[in-house]
Amino acid sequence: MHSMNTVVLVKGVPDFREGKVSFKEDNTLNRGATPTVLNPNDRLALAAALELKVKHGGSVRLVSMGPPNYKTILREAMEVCGDEAYLLSDRMMGGADTLATAETIAAGIRKIGLPDLVIAGFKSADGETGQTGPQTAWVLDFPIITHVVSLEVDEKARLVRARRTAGDDIEEIEAPLPCFIVTDPGFTAVFRSATNRLRLLRLGEETVARASKIDSVFKMWGVADLGVDPKKIGLKGSPTIVNKVEPIPVAAKERTAQVVDAKDAGQLDEVARRIVQLVRG
Amino acid sequence: MSVASTWTPKGNYRDMWVYCEQNHGKFVTCSLEMLGEARRLMDKYNVDYKADEKVVAVVFGHKVDGLVQEAFEHGADVVYACDHPALENFILEPQTKLLAAAARGKDHYKSYDEPRYFLFPATNNGRDISATAMAALESGLASDCNVLYISDEPIKHPVKTRRNEVIEEIVYPRILHMKRPDFSGFEWSTILCIDDPDKDFHPQSCSVIPGSFKPLERAAGRKGVRVNVAFNLGEKDQRVKIVKRERLPIEVDLTKREVIVAIGRGIGSNPTQGIKLGVELAQALGADVGISRGVVTAKYPVDASVQQYTKEIRQIGETGQMVKPKVYIALGISGAIQHKKGMDKSKTIITVNSEPSAPIKEFSDVYIHGDLFEVVPKLKEAIQRALGGKNGGKV
Ligand SMILES: Cc1cc2nc3c(=O)[nH]c(=O)nc-3n(C[C@H](O)[C@H](O)[C@H](O)COP(=O)(O)OP(=O)(O)OC[C@H]3O[C@@H](n4cnc5c(N)ncnc54)[C@H](O)[C@@H]3O)c2cc1C
Ligand SMILES: Nc1ncnc2c1ncn2[C@@H]1O[C@H](COP(=O)(O)O)[C@@H](O)[C@H]1O
Repeated sequence: MHSMNTVVLVKGVPDFREGKVSFKEDNTLNRGATPTVLNPNDRLALAAALELKVKHGGSVRLVSMGPPNYKTILREAMEVCGDEAYLLSDRMMGGADTLATAETIAAGIRKIGLPDLVIAGFKSADGETGQTGPQTAWVLDFPIITHVVSLEVDEKARLVRARRTAGDDIEEIEAPLPCFIVTDPGFTAVFRSATNRLRLLRLGEETVARASKIDSVFKMWGVADLGVDPKKIGLKGSPTIVNKVEPIPVAAKERTAQVVDAKDAGQLDEVARRIVQLVRG
Repeated sequence: MSVASTWTPKGNYRDMWVYCEQNHGKFVTCSLEMLGEARRLMDKYNVDYKADEKVVAVVFGHKVDGLVQEAFEHGADVVYACDHPALENFILEPQTKLLAAAARGKDHYKSYDEPRYFLFPATNNGRDISATAMAALESGLASDCNVLYISDEPIKHPVKTRRNEVIEEIVYPRILHMKRPDFSGFEWSTILCIDDPDKDFHPQSCSVIPGSFKPLERAAGRKGVRVNVAFNLGEKDQRVKIVKRERLPIEVDLTKREVIVAIGRGIGSNPTQGIKLGVELAQALGADVGISRGVVTAKYPVDASVQQYTKEIRQIGETGQMVKPKVYIALGISGAIQHKKGMDKSKTIITVNSEPSAPIKEFSDVYIHGDLFEVVPKLKEAIQRALGGKNGGKV
């Protein structure tokens, strides 16, 4: 049938990798000196989309809300998977909290045309709220499955079958298309047949090539393009504000540490004996 | 200087609601912790504002009578209960619809428009329903908070308090201040949920980090008002179906370990070597290896031989595993609040850190000041000696 239309939500975050991330003296992030990269969890959302494209064909559209330089983020995402990229960008979208972000992204998805599946990552490495995916699903009125570790689509029955983690349990879920998926950090794509592994290889090469000439498949939309209610987006549409940022005072002393100078072999021996005693005791 | 004006909401809001998550017929611990904190907050609120507002628990599930009573005994004045076989396992969509309907509806207890405040546990399910419920109620939400208080707050904000191109100072009464530790674990952001000229934003709500608050001592026999929420959902509200639910074979279970060696970003200058040292120390003690989130997000390019030790499943902390071994050895970990939550119940905490006093010192029993790349091999040898012989001696 080859008719699966998928949208993947991707976001840019500070690069927390060793050697890239820059902290100030007080342990807070030095944003200016830290580059922005594709949110690591969103790679799993892209991997899920790629798996479905290998198995079902169809198209994958990437959507991100952010400043104009997020085009590089979309390009990074497209190197994993993507046919087209949409950047929702406008001064009026700035300062959005998760609900205002969800409203904006939902408007973008509606303008593209409602897909069969929307896939988001679990959490962003800077916000770590995990709220944006579920809230976008709610605004779109899509059924939603979170913490998805593996995914199958039955095109004929128009059903999604997913496995998700639920505390110490694993659940098998069924939901109708269209559907909203949030991938778990433990998501894994499964390719059993040689045909699929070959298709994976070919699609991988195709998407990398496409990413290098992203301009021909890239669109940037502002508030006027989306026709979204300005009262629902950006700082204006955000119910929450960040009122104050302050250092967390050092926690009240809970234990009094015996301080050991590592250079003192005698002291280290004593610690070692204490550890062994505790472990045996 | 002009006197700041005071904000008056358009709607009528009351009470602090608490979503009490249960799993297999038992409250998750955070549910009781939130009830305790809600009780403390509202007792103070009622004095400060000469009010009489309640702590309202929400309990959804199947056969919940025992849980309803438990909620009363842990501080709830009112319980909104929905008891239905379809609620036995948590499914997001029906739970959100029932919750939003209860929060908006009028009944024999409730005549106000919406809850004033709403707390959710920052667990997987709690986080999901906090997000969808607040989308349904069109209000604001802070995630992963660990300090809460209520007070009036004067606010000057470029958008919220702008009147005719002038940014005024306006006092917002009875604001829930929600403090959230950021990704470094060393900075708090105070998040507020405030109305603006176009719209009231209630409930003011957040998710709460498990372990942040103390439950109240259980008051046996304490009574309250029960409101039964009708399960009036149709097919279109139950699109997601659980076909099967089974115990997950846990790949790495650190929660039952007696000895854990945990590795943090202190390995940054040579991650592969750092992990090797940690693993060897663990092996000498018959221990397992955990990591801080710092190691997960650092995405170290390590040798394949140690890659398994950088996986998120080994993360210890608020959003990882919560452990309480006899001995916890922390190598190059700073002690961010979210990490602390997952390990501070360990019996003995031993730390190796190159800073003279990293924050983790305040909850360590032994603080070895030194470079882990030098200390760990020595410590391992000393342990092997203490065990008797280089390879001999059983733990
Ligand atoms: C919503 C949310 C949830 C989170 N959940 C978790 C969680 O569950 N678990 C968790 O761990 N974190 C969590 N975090 C992240 C947390 O805030 C910290 O960023 C993280 O714990 C820091 O990891 P770290 O201590 O390894 O790194 P750092 O804070 O960078 O500390 C490294 C330490 O190593 C020391 N060091 C450096 N070099 C050496 C050396 N050669 N020898 C010895 N010591 C050395 C330094 O002095 C420093 O103390 C969460 C954050 C958010 C926002
Ligand atoms: N500005 C954004 N643009 C596109 N997708 C986003 C944006 N913010 C969040 N998301 C999606 O929502 C997920 C969770 O983000 P968060 O709620 O910030 O933790 C991310 O992994 C993305 O898939």
